[in-house]
Amino acid sequence: MIAMLQQVLERAYEHLLFTLTTYLPPLLTAATILVITYLIALLARWVLVRIFKGISVDRFLYQSGISSMFDRSGRLRATHIVSNGVYWIIIGIGALTALSAFNTELTSRMVETAVFLFPKLVTAGLIVLAGVWLAQYLGRGVLVWGCNEGVPSVRTIAALVRAVVVFVAVVVAADHLNFARSVFLAAFVLLVGGAVLAASIAVGFGARGAVARHLEGKRESQPPEAEHERSLWNHL
Amino acid sequence: MPEQQLPEEHLRQVRELGKADIVVGIPSYNNVRTIGHVVRAAQAGLAKYFPQFTSLIVNSDGGSQDGTREAVLSSKVEDAHLLMLDTPKFPVHRLSLPYHGIPGKGSAFRLIFRLAEMVGAKAAAVVDSDLRSITPEWIDLLLRPVVYADYDFVAPYYHRHKYDGTITNSIVYPMTRSLYGYRVRQPIGGDFGMSRRLIARYLQRDDWETDVARYGIDIWMTTIALAEGYRVCQSFLGAKLHDAKDPGADLSAMLHQVVGSVFTLMQEYEAVWKTRSGSEPVDLFGFRFDVGLDPIDVNLGRMLQAFAKGCKDLAEIWSLALAPDVLDAVLRLGRQAAAGESGFHLPDELWARIICDFAIAHRDKPPERGHLLRSLTPLYLCRVASFVIETQNLFSAQVEEKIENLCLCFEALKPYLAGRWGAYPGPKRQPEVQTAPAGAEPSKVEVPKS
Repeated sequence: MIAMLQQVLERAYEHLLFTLTTYLPPLLTAATILVITYLIALLARWVLVRIFKGISVDRFLYQSGISSMFDRSGRLRATHIVSNGVYWIIIGIGALTALSAFNTELTSRMVETAVFLFPKLVTAGLIVLAGVWLAQYLGRGVLVWGCNEGVPSVRTIAALVRAVVVFVAVVVAADHLNFARSVFLAAFVLLVGGAVLAASIAVGFGARGAVARHLEGKRESQPPEAEHERSLWNHL
Repeated sequence: MPEQQLPEEHLRQVRELGKADIVVGIPSYNNVRTIGHVVRAAQAGLAKYFPQFTSLIVNSDGGSQDGTREAVLSSKVEDAHLLMLDTPKFPVHRLSLPYHGIPGKGSAFRLIFRLAEMVGAKAAAVVDSDLRSITPEWIDLLLRPVVYADYDFVAPYYHRHKYDGTITNSIVYPMTRSLYGYRVRQPIGGDFGMSRRLIARYLQRDDWETDVARYGIDIWMTTIALAEGYRVCQSFLGAKLHDAKDPGADLSAMLHQVVGSVFTLMQEYEAVWKTRSGSEPVDLFGFRFDVGLDPIDVNLGRMLQAFAKGCKDLAEIWSLALAPDVLDAVLRLGRQAAAGESGFHLPDELWARIICDFAIAHRDKPPERGHLLRSLTPLYLCRVASFVIETQNLFSAQVEEKIENLCLCFEALKPYLAGRWGAYPGPKRQPEVQTAPAGAEPSKVEVPKS
């Protein structure tokens, strides 16, 4: 009985020892790596904040309207974006390095996938960002035009334009990531639809003058009411 | 200006003419109804007041389909004896040429200036082709200060209906006056006289392919003359009666071009306007008299409706430009307009703040410029509506007082504008300012009291 108990305890001890000798060193290594990368990330952020302060990237973001996309006040600073971006990239690299310290099939595959996906993720992020910017730009264009032309429910139309453009950007980004490949065809159709919409808007804007001149011919033969309206526009 | 930039046909016609001392330019687009009268007035004016000079009338046409160019070439002064014209020593030549490039008044002026430079004109005047009240005396009043008194730029001074020229009265005149410190009452009047050196300066510039090619041309010409220290004066021309400005053109595009040009030039001449405060009168020539004016009907309800709609839809875009307190005040007015409450009034101070905030946003947010300028339309209509309500029972002299008060508001707000302008973070663009040639003094003579 005692011998059996001793055997069980010895097996448990061996198992614990095996586990400790197998996993503790990589665990400690991973923890050390994480701590070091965290410190490096903090340092990098601190350095970048000082380097980027006053650089014209802030001006670019402010003037291009990108900052107002994320922050209504338009005061978002590139310094924070870049320094925090670099901070998280370093943390990410640290996490992957820490994972690879375990040297198992699963962690190797995770690291491999992450390394392979990273550039694509960046590109996809940029696609979405550009899409959001374009959506906002076109939405505002439609809003101003519609309001000046007295179009009813113009805010809804502008929101629709924004949603369509953002949706197209998301679909393109997803396709770039090989994510939901099956929607490629749908994305293509949406893209064509978006292009047609954009072209319609452009033609609408471009042809307004021509249409107005065409209507002008008709207006001339119209009664005094039209003449009254005209006199309103002696603005210059 | 390099000759090769003009089509060979134009060059041939100009070479045939040789030299001309004075050029009168008339931009046109489908103005057959009125251009004959304008050409006859110009011709009579040149023959009567400048008989000793060789002169040329240039029609710069934007592709008229209604026989405008034929009307220019065929019109002649038939009752010369009634005008008591001496036989001129030199004939008045006429040319009608189509301009190329961006369709607009600015492109038409560019061709006129090029031709004036090519024929060696010492002075040039430009007059609108839709004028019904132009007389031969206008030509004298626009050109005499240049030809005989060494002025570089003659701006018009008219009697206009109180509701005529609301962009001028609400934005362009107060802004130009407060920025550059000179009281040029009609900075975008459309009828100007210019010296050879100022024309050369205009042609030297490289911003012709912007809003300057369209309605921005008038304020561009006036601003350059004022900001670069050329000698500027005004001539009283009487009443300005004209056909409506291109009724097909929409208001927001017009605002975009004119106000956009004011704001763009503000950036270029920052170093100039920041050093000036207050304003001083500008010489005014011509005998002043009162005249009857065409009535102008305004649709007040529609303007208020447009403003209320703007408040509902455009607050997001206005928030890019307006300070929070200004936006709040505007939105409160919008609710008042929507509710149809009586006593609707946009205070002058608030209007001046709106324009200053838009000027700053125009500088700070280039990609949003188009949206911002077009979104100004409902705010402008709010200002016009308020002005109409305020002045409906006032005479023109009282209305002029109101405009004077608005100008004083803009002048008082200049430190606010300069402060916010200067507070912008980041490197500033160096201004490209060219001063007037030696001997050209800015005008500082007292203006006769009206």
